[in-house]
Amino acid sequence: MSWLIARSGELTRRIRTLLHRDQVARDLAEEFQLHLDLRAQQQTAQGSNPHDAQAAARRRFGNPTRLREQSYEAWGWRWLETLFQDAQYGLRGMLRSPGITLVALLSLALGIGANTALFSLIDAVMLRSLPVDHPEQLVLLGTAGERGTVSGFDVTDLFSYPFFQLFQQRNRSFISTAAMVSGDRAVHGFIDGRREAVPMQVGLVSGSYFSTLGVATIIGRPLDDNDNRVDEPQPVAVISDSWWKRAYAHDPAILGRRIKIDATTFTIIGVTPPEFFGVEVGEAPDLWLPLAFMPAVPPHRTCLKEDLEQCLFIFGRLRPGVSFTQAATEVNFLRQQILPGFPDAHLSPQDWKDLKGLHIPLTSMSGGFSGLRRQYSGPLRVLIAIAGLVLLIACTNLANLLLARSTVRARELAVRQAMGANRARIIRQLLVESLLLASAGGLLGIAVAQLAAPLLLRMVSAGRDVLSLNLSLNSRLLLFSLALTFATTLLFGIVPALRASRPDLVSSLKEKQSPIGAGSGTLLARSLIVSQVVFSIILVAAAVLFLRSLVNLANSETGFNPQNVLRLNLDLGSAGYLENDPRLALLYRGVEDRVAALPGVRAASLSTFTFHEGSWSGPLSVPGADSQVQVSADHNVVGNDYFRTMQIPLIAGRLFGSQDSASWPKVAVVSQQIARTLFPKDSAIGRHYRIADSSTEGDREIIGVVGDVKFEGVDEPPTPIDYFPYQQNPRYLHDLEVRYTGDDGAIAAAVQHAIHQTNPNLPIYRVTTLEEQVARSYTNHRVTAQLSAFFGLLAATLSAIGIYGLMSYMVSRRTSEIGIRMALGAERLHISWLVMREILTLVAIGIAVGVPAALLANHAIVSMLFGLTASDPISLLAAIAILVVIAAIAGYLPARRAARVEPIVALRYE
Amino acid sequence: MPERDEIPPGTLYLLILKTLARYGELHGFEVANSIQHTTEDVLQVEEGSLYPALQRMLIKGWVTARWGTTAGNRRARYYQLTAAGRRQLTVEISQFERVMGAITRVIRTA
Repeated sequence: MSWLIARSGELTRRIRTLLHRDQVARDLAEEFQLHLDLRAQQQTAQGSNPHDAQAAARRRFGNPTRLREQSYEAWGWRWLETLFQDAQYGLRGMLRSPGITLVALLSLALGIGANTALFSLIDAVMLRSLPVDHPEQLVLLGTAGERGTVSGFDVTDLFSYPFFQLFQQRNRSFISTAAMVSGDRAVHGFIDGRREAVPMQVGLVSGSYFSTLGVATIIGRPLDDNDNRVDEPQPVAVISDSWWKRAYAHDPAILGRRIKIDATTFTIIGVTPPEFFGVEVGEAPDLWLPLAFMPAVPPHRTCLKEDLEQCLFIFGRLRPGVSFTQAATEVNFLRQQILPGFPDAHLSPQDWKDLKGLHIPLTSMSGGFSGLRRQYSGPLRVLIAIAGLVLLIACTNLANLLLARSTVRARELAVRQAMGANRARIIRQLLVESLLLASAGGLLGIAVAQLAAPLLLRMVSAGRDVLSLNLSLNSRLLLFSLALTFATTLLFGIVPALRASRPDLVSSLKEKQSPIGAGSGTLLARSLIVSQVVFSIILVAAAVLFLRSLVNLANSETGFNPQNVLRLNLDLGSAGYLENDPRLALLYRGVEDRVAALPGVRAASLSTFTFHEGSWSGPLSVPGADSQVQVSADHNVVGNDYFRTMQIPLIAGRLFGSQDSASWPKVAVVSQQIARTLFPKDSAIGRHYRIADSSTEGDREIIGVVGDVKFEGVDEPPTPIDYFPYQQNPRYLHDLEVRYTGDDGAIAAAVQHAIHQTNPNLPIYRVTTLEEQVARSYTNHRVTAQLSAFFGLLAATLSAIGIYGLMSYMVSRRTSEIGIRMALGAERLHISWLVMREILTLVAIGIAVGVPAALLANHAIVSMLFGLTASDPISLLAAIAILVVIAAIAGYLPARRAARVEPIVALRYE
Repeated sequence: MPERDEIPPGTLYLLILKTLARYGELHGFEVANSIQHTTEDVLQVEEGSLYPALQRMLIKGWVTARWGTTAGNRRARYYQLTAAGRRQLTVEISQFERVMGAITRVIRTA
């Protein structure tokens, strides 16, 4: 203890000397002077003459300079001072060649910036824990891979509310469980009785949601079970901090304010903390409402009371000591116990089989869950690897730069070493210079990342409302870029430093240019260039693959024609329509007729889905037929003109018409896949089948067969789809598709105007073209392609700079040799070729190593490609061609400079 | 002028500490003079080397310093032992005696 106090006292005294360095130095000088004067006086008093006395005093005192140094050393700040000197010296050196420094800084800034920006996205999407109490204890039932409403007994991701209630009561594995509605949550509501409907994101959650997460409100109280009684729910809402800010400008009088959604007016009872965004990464609800309001809030889902309509995610907090496996066993046991016990569960043998074979996996929810993560974890991993390679190339450039500089400085360093500077000191000085460069690059990199992160977010969001991800700078990010900076310093700084500090003193001091610049230094520089070419080949090949994959996606056949189709969404629920509302068919007819009558419109139709919008799906069965044949189909309820609007070809039978009215037997149009699977032997037309949906009883007659279309994504095969006419199925049809000719902007305005003529209060949202919607479904592919193309280009450019730098340096070193060659009659062309040959050799070696390396690397990304193999020859050839062209361009200038060497000048320089 | 010997290495602290313990408060020149007088000019201190040593002792907290005025009305830094300095003095003395004792034994057994 006393030792510690003594140490800390010592440290304070040391720091004091550092802070008052000048004063301390002056004091010391004064002390020296006093000593010398007093000693001289003493000598004079003893009879010496003043001059001798002073000399004697100095002799007895010793060497004041050395003593001063020794005194300063006592304070323990020598290392700091030399560091400071080294830094100053390095800074001057860098400023002396501003062009090179600028290139170095720029490549470092881009390298570190790209890595940091990508890492911020990775951090937000994949790494960060939910800002809730002990997130590691939270577990999700299933994988959240499915959204919307699904019936059937083979479902593992979604659950009905009756199931949730029984599960909540019976399970022993969880301290607490909660449920939330999955899927689309955009509604339009009215704030404080205003007349304008505002879009808002609504999370419908069980009363246990906030208590299970352990999230408190910053104002008011969270929802509880009392708010969520099914027979008597309380119309209350908890809002997010960001919505409090956006909609209410952080007005402190927020509690008690009202929001009207459809027919229900909710009262705000609480605000969540700013960091809380729910449990889905990238999808932050603006307000949370009791789940019991599900039927009253658009899209008016039915799974609150229906035992087998499954639309909820369930998660819980594990009881301490209960393992994942134990909890999973109980979950599956309860699932098989509860489902068959429902009164309306009439299980077919196939259903029993499904249920018995069912396994619900548990997913850790410590980082929340996210469709974004599913889509982007692969691409982000690949992209950060690519960005890492780019940084490596940038480092290689810097290493070469420093190597070149240290060779130029060899004489200076040799002089210093000959004068007695120790090697460690010289290495340290060179490393300080690298660190200086890297730190400046790192700082710039963070700035670049700050600019790039929002850009990246917009790319990832692709036309949607920008994802609510927090990419702002945090300590983890700073740590990451700091680590990068130091890693780069070591990478590019240490080798040149070690080399430069071990020069052959004698030959350096003699200083004649080495004849052919082929010392071990240029060998090192050459291998660095080769490694740049190798990395560049890998990156450019990957970029070409991703780009070609993107082109394949864009050109892939969807089964419908997405060109010249406008599409938009109608928020029917928010406009007061109920599902199965008899007024709906009339509204639909009105909208379709008005829009179809617009000039430039060729066909228009409503539908529940178009493309990549989720699904309503379930198994199909043919009465009396072999129950072994099972098809799970996506259902779509459409207007009569849907197939003409989408240009989906009719294969057999007929399309919907006015004869298929509500009072007539139910009909359906099915896709070719369904027809082939259910009726493999003969025509499907006129046959009957049934869908497993408790709300729609009875058979449907197949009146037509249409072509297969892709439904979920362009990178997936077409799914079996059956279509129902809306006259017989008064569901919500949120989508309007309009096939048009001419200008889409004008059509969009006219269409919206026509809709509001039919019903002025109908909120319209997500107005876009079908082409864009299709393109949006592979945004992750596009982002990957664009970024990898950017990085590939950056890599090639950096390599070009590297080649240019090395060649310029070699040409300048070899000026005299070239002069001699010319004096002896070498042609200028021959001299150019000498330089170009050098470059091409390096590039050829790079290609020879790079192509197998690229093939290997491509295997890692092959799962992310569409319609291509890892050994795609075109991408490799393209990469080679690009590298050769770039190298030739980079080498041209030095080669020309070499050819213009005047022999006389060169020789005179010698 | 009498013959002079270098001071044994590592004993500079001991000499300074002891001198300060004996005279209380001294400035650098006085310390140097005092050492010479006490040893009757046998031990030769490179006088300047007192000052780096004093700086180290200041940092270690064995001595404190204050600025005062000499008899000749010059500004001078006066050093004084601290409690830690006194403790250090006993440590240095016992260390020195141990070493000297050992060396003496070696010489006597000849």
